[in-house]
Amino acid sequence: MTPSRRTTLQWMIAAAATPLARWMPPASAAEGASTPLLGPIADWPGAPPLPTTKGYGRDPTLMEPKVAWPLTLTRAQRTTIDLLGDMILPADDVSPGAGQLGVGAFIDEWISAPYPTQQGDRATVLGGLDWLDRQSIAQHRKAFAVIGEPMRGTMLDALCAAAPAGKLEMPVKFIDRLRHLFVLGFYTLPEGKKDMGYVGDQPTEGPYPGPSVDARTHLAALLAELKLGVRTT
Amino acid sequence: MSRGPATAPADVIIVGSGAAGGMAAYSLTKAGLRCLMLEAGRDYDPQQEVNMLAPESDAPLRGSATPDKPFGYFDATVDGGWEVDGEPYTSTEGSGFRWWRPRMLGGRTNHWGRHVPRWGAYDFKPFSRDGLGVDWPIGYDDVAPYYDRVEKMIGVNGGPIGLENHPDSPADCLMPPPAPRVPELLLKATAESMGIPVRAAHTAVLTRDMPDPVAPRSACFNATPCSRGCTIGAMFQTTTSFLPMAKATGRLTVVTDAMVARVLTNQAGRATGVEYVDRKTGVRHRVSARAVVLAAGTGETTRLLLNSGEPGRGLANASGELGRNLTDSTGASFSAFIPGLADRPRYNEDGIGGQHVYIPFWLYQEQQRGELDFARGYHFEVWGRFGVPSPNVLPRVWGADLKKAVRSASGATIGLSLRGEMIPNKQTYCEIDPGVKDRFGIPVLRFAFRFSRHEVNQVAHGRRIAHALFERMNGRILDDPSLPPEKIMAAGGEIIHELGTARMGTDARTSVVDSYGRAWDVDNLVLMDGAIFASGAHKNPTLTILALALRASEQLAARFKSGAFA
Repeated sequence: MTPSRRTTLQWMIAAAATPLARWMPPASAAEGASTPLLGPIADWPGAPPLPTTKGYGRDPTLMEPKVAWPLTLTRAQRTTIDLLGDMILPADDVSPGAGQLGVGAFIDEWISAPYPTQQGDRATVLGGLDWLDRQSIAQHRKAFAVIGEPMRGTMLDALCAAAPAGKLEMPVKFIDRLRHLFVLGFYTLPEGKKDMGYVGDQPTEGPYPGPSVDARTHLAALLAELKLGVRTT
Repeated sequence: MSRGPATAPADVIIVGSGAAGGMAAYSLTKAGLRCLMLEAGRDYDPQQEVNMLAPESDAPLRGSATPDKPFGYFDATVDGGWEVDGEPYTSTEGSGFRWWRPRMLGGRTNHWGRHVPRWGAYDFKPFSRDGLGVDWPIGYDDVAPYYDRVEKMIGVNGGPIGLENHPDSPADCLMPPPAPRVPELLLKATAESMGIPVRAAHTAVLTRDMPDPVAPRSACFNATPCSRGCTIGAMFQTTTSFLPMAKATGRLTVVTDAMVARVLTNQAGRATGVEYVDRKTGVRHRVSARAVVLAAGTGETTRLLLNSGEPGRGLANASGELGRNLTDSTGASFSAFIPGLADRPRYNEDGIGGQHVYIPFWLYQEQQRGELDFARGYHFEVWGRFGVPSPNVLPRVWGADLKKAVRSASGATIGLSLRGEMIPNKQTYCEIDPGVKDRFGIPVLRFAFRFSRHEVNQVAHGRRIAHALFERMNGRILDDPSLPPEKIMAAGGEIIHELGTARMGTDARTSVVDSYGRAWDVDNLVLMDGAIFASGAHKNPTLTILALALRASEQLAARFKSGAFA
């Protein structure tokens, strides 16, 4: 492609490929250090690999898109994912929560896919779900799904740390990745597009009309602010 | 071995059905010649197979790129890509070229970028200007009449450019371009304040209906990505234009799944036909014709010739230039989050599939004065519009704050993709791998690829310009300016503009074909794809491939008429 042909999918590809390291300032704290919000940090567990399965191949039927591989989250894992979805992208007066909307099924589809990017995310997400329970049990003697919402919120706050270090690096990477997958899964749905105020995907005959009056007014103000003149044609 | 399915012997065998092969089939059948087209890939009908309007959420993984579908699930490319099952290629140590091969009727025209700039006078005579590479045996004036005709035949929208080495089209050639979008207007104001031009791009998408009794095509309806293919024919692809038109003459036979292995010759050194393998059955066939046109794509055309003729030497290779002079465009991508575009008013920003404006190369005078540390030009293609914000513009927050951040950041990123000229060098070529064969027993290509300081310096310059533009917009640059330019350049082949491995020239001792693509050594063998390019320019090559294929086809037809192949 030439990559100009990539433009429409640019953000989706970026969502899949952008290295997480980009958001991470250099580690500074000592190995195994605790965070005031969490106390001592649990060890990062391993995650079982994906059972052998196949992708959709190089020539799938595009008129009837199908996910070719089985979903692999256990019921308990899926429950936690949905719960996290409703925390990360909660219901408000514009749109439902991500868990409520079933974006968890997309996360399951993603981490169950037999492709390298998705397999990498599988280790991060399954490891992360396991870690949440370990940390929660160590702290509260209960699994993550059954501690109260304020306690879960405290954990999420800690996992949005600006400069994660030591044992916190992997858990923060997990929440980063999960957050991005929820954004991708949620905002590509019709409900998500509506939430963003997306206008488009509608065949429009005749010449493309260009920006609306509102959009041009906003641009004119921006150009003035940037001292770039007010030309908008 | 058996005789092929075509009952009557053809006048011309055409290998490949993409831009060049499609043009050859159209032009030669209109001239009254019977053509047999052999396509390595499977049959393909955009009317039946293109899922134009399905939302991305219908696709597995929301249409994300995978090794199976590198440009996303709905991308029109089927049965091919960077890798084709059972059809490997190799690279010399430390080189890493990537070879894109669609395996479908219509080839790359089904999913291409559609940016179709004209090449200018400097692009055809680069050696005369800077002493590097070679000149073409033809100049802009030789090609211009064919550009005029091709633009009208395929349907191109765009406007005047009015810059050095960017020739404008005559008044009746182009359809009107679509209105620019907000990020494009911001880029235009910013760039022009810095003396950098922004112009309407030339794009092979109809903005007006194009009636035709056989293959009518409709104006773009301003929705859906063109890379999916186009059931209404708005985007140029041979499967909705040239191929049905050529078939309607009754003089075109198309055989798909026909993997051509070599060109056959007689003792007099003329081409007699080709040998191909049926990809489904593995059976080998031989078909004959009075002339052979190779339009299989740069790499595949050269591979065919290297696997034909004299073992170890190939066919049409008296010059020894076959496989040499390989180039690809340089590629690098830059982007920035523009706070001034956050929370901007929504409107329908779909437009035609790609960019509406672009930045053509503008520094020819500075280059001539020796003020640049690289030869040749580059341009920027523009992207950025409403959509899901990419992860690198979202803060590390959760809950209501995250939803708010997504809404705000949608449509606030601008990206510039650099495409630049690569000058042929001795370290960059393809050859037959002595040890590896594909699943049909055909020896495969081995690539060697290296950029020179010209390309590295050019990309470094482009990054400084892109970042200066972003800074002028008060943008937050999203790519790392401290990386060495070598680390941000696309690998060879990744821009899918591979060219030049059977270049044209005026001298049989230093080139493979003449300016009509005719092999110096084999009178009735004509090459029509990117293999014949003498240089790569920075401008996307397909319009020039089409113009040269039209010119070569008409000369071939004229030679038939004059009795040259009787």
